[in-house]
Amino acid sequence: MREIAGDILYVDLSERRAWREPVLHEDILNFLGGRGLNAHLLWKLTGPDTDPLGPDNPLIFGAGLLSGTEVPCSGRTTVTCRSPATRWYLKTSGGGHWGGELKFAGIGHLVITGRADHPVYLWIDDGRVEFRDARPIWGKDVRETDLSVKKDVGDEDIQVAAIGPAGERLVKFAGIMFSVYNTAGRGGAGAVMGAKNLKAVAVRGTGALRAAQPARFHEAAVECREALLAESGGEGLARYGTAGSVEAVNELRAWASYNFRRSRDEDVYPLSGQYLVERGYLKRRVACLACVFGCHRYTELTRGEFAGCYTGGPELETLGSFGSGCGVSDTEAVIKANELCNILGMDTISCGSVIAWTMECYEKGLVSARDLDGLDLRWGDAKAVIEMVRRIAYREGFGDVLAEGVRAAARQVGGDSYRWAVEAKGLEQSRVDTRSAKAYALAFAVNPRGADHLHTETFAEFGLSPEGRALIARITGDEKYADPCMVEKRAEIVRWHEDCFAVTDALGLCAFSSTALYGVTPARMAELFSAATGHEISEEEIMRAGRRIVTLEKCFNVRAGAVRADDCLPWRLMHEHTPDRPDPDAINAPEELDRMLDEYYSLHGWDLETSWPTSETLESLGLGDVARRLAAAGKLR
Amino acid sequence: MEKFLVVYPDLCTGCRLCEAACSYRHEGVYSPSLSRVRVVKFEDRCLSVPVVCNYCEQPPCEASCPTGAMSAAPDGRYALVREDRCIGCKECVNVCPLGAVRMHPRTGVAVRCDLCRGDPECVKVCTAGALRYEPLEAAVREKRRARAASLNPV
Repeated sequence: MREIAGDILYVDLSERRAWREPVLHEDILNFLGGRGLNAHLLWKLTGPDTDPLGPDNPLIFGAGLLSGTEVPCSGRTTVTCRSPATRWYLKTSGGGHWGGELKFAGIGHLVITGRADHPVYLWIDDGRVEFRDARPIWGKDVRETDLSVKKDVGDEDIQVAAIGPAGERLVKFAGIMFSVYNTAGRGGAGAVMGAKNLKAVAVRGTGALRAAQPARFHEAAVECREALLAESGGEGLARYGTAGSVEAVNELRAWASYNFRRSRDEDVYPLSGQYLVERGYLKRRVACLACVFGCHRYTELTRGEFAGCYTGGPELETLGSFGSGCGVSDTEAVIKANELCNILGMDTISCGSVIAWTMECYEKGLVSARDLDGLDLRWGDAKAVIEMVRRIAYREGFGDVLAEGVRAAARQVGGDSYRWAVEAKGLEQSRVDTRSAKAYALAFAVNPRGADHLHTETFAEFGLSPEGRALIARITGDEKYADPCMVEKRAEIVRWHEDCFAVTDALGLCAFSSTALYGVTPARMAELFSAATGHEISEEEIMRAGRRIVTLEKCFNVRAGAVRADDCLPWRLMHEHTPDRPDPDAINAPEELDRMLDEYYSLHGWDLETSWPTSETLESLGLGDVARRLAAAGKLR
Repeated sequence: MEKFLVVYPDLCTGCRLCEAACSYRHEGVYSPSLSRVRVVKFEDRCLSVPVVCNYCEQPPCEASCPTGAMSAAPDGRYALVREDRCIGCKECVNVCPLGAVRMHPRTGVAVRCDLCRGDPECVKVCTAGALRYEPLEAAVREKRRARAASLNPV
């Protein structure tokens, strides 16, 4: 088990102490690794009062159980902590090559607690851990930091996870950047890292990973690769990236535009992956470790106002939030904003969202040009957007208000501005207009970290691919439920995707391998797990482990005070239609959400009134100790 | 026609599955540091280039080897390291201008690509088509056309 899972490396920044512990077999069997084991560690190391930006909030990096192997798309790393943006549970994940390198150093999980008394970075050289002075690189952007750290340790082949100036300034949506351009972006993990005075974690791993049953594991990996390459959506993903589906989502009236006032954009082609290719902005396709598609982008601007700009991206979410979300259709400006977010270390989803919200406040007179130090922040003004990105990262002027996230900003600005602050649980919603996608709506509402698609990606409900329709038929018994406007069966669809996504994250796989493309089925994941660890696990058991992970994450929020009312959607989506979908059902009406929530909680064995998992549910998942802790806190029924 | 392991660096996405396949085939484990092919990355530019033994016509590693450990297979189609003869002197590492010969971290003998004895695993996993096992003339032909097209776009 150790030869595939690696050890847990604990680092106490306050005491400048590091030690390794082996992972427990039973923890791997229960929580699989990656996101799952992270959730278990966070639960054990925190309490209801843990301060997100305090030294006792652990910052946990979990490489996937299978990261570093030949399993396709297995290079993702999960970061887990209490979110400073929402104060709820946070798991956020990133691609790149950092997690694999950690595994080659013999480490599966890195648990960082405490706070250094001055900026430091960690240098993990196989078994050795060094605390290095980061004062000379504090303030540098992510690209400069990556190069400086590599120079400092004298090896350019190492892997670096770093924060930029936004993380240093505790921007509530600062991300942690892996391999320069791969972001663990949502929920402010970069601010947690900044609060610890930790600039970067550099890793060199020269070791090896060995499956318990190598030949069987190899065979299973080859099968997964062939299945993925045979998928109808694979070629488009490779060629056009995540933004290849922008036009399709737009035509479905699920493309959030003008801060979710519209669910369709008139001129969306300049924001599509196809356009990036056609106009030559795309210089290279880029793969995370072991990825067979390479959906990540690398773009350069060689002419025009932003000549000299170069960056990883842009992804669909970035094109959506800085593009249509702000009424912008200038591709080059979006690429520039993306570069800034990457090197300053910020989530593009939240950053674009707070700017779009400000545009609406500006239009309605709640925020004036004077508040913005003269910036004329009108819809579609790409240059103003770019300037605002910079001000947020450095907390200049009104940027300081926006750096706290849209919920806090709306409280400060007041009036009705909360109505167009498109967030739930304090997290700015990602691109999908959930008014036109009901499984997404339910998934976003119950997501423990807030309203987005990366706990549960129910892309199949759109019915856009034969594989997606077949999956819906398998879950619900009928392909007709592959219809995003239907409310029926959404709870079942969400539950399957929750479980599958949790397993996917725990193994370190990309969601594109199992819940957006579908070649890596739960059965195949069970086979991979069995061959990797030597412990036989069935498809049903591995999905149950997924359920266990999802439930434990929910319990973190329950312990922190969550009740049913917290499982909601942004005000605008629950109360306003868009002109693009005038039909009465195209809204996330509270009654409709309530109906789906009732079905969802019932299906999960959670209490309808409080949303809390019941004692029987927890016991049946082997979470009896969690039940006892919740009972002692008066949070169990 | 004789085949070569040809690298198309422009097509490499940097997934490093070649390293995983190579280390699994030769060592039964997953470990870039044990792989014969290595992917060099320039991450700020998202640039990745696979580096592997190019099968020189006049291999300095073989010429410099004092024991004859670095030698071609009897039919000349792939290279060998005769581990029983290798004394770990590292002359081959010193003279290889490509950085394609290394020392095995555990056994201390020289390591270089043996083309998996004529059936390279790295090629099988390279979905981007950056590593191909093909006659050299095919590669030259394709690169020639690509170059010409870039000068005179059609």
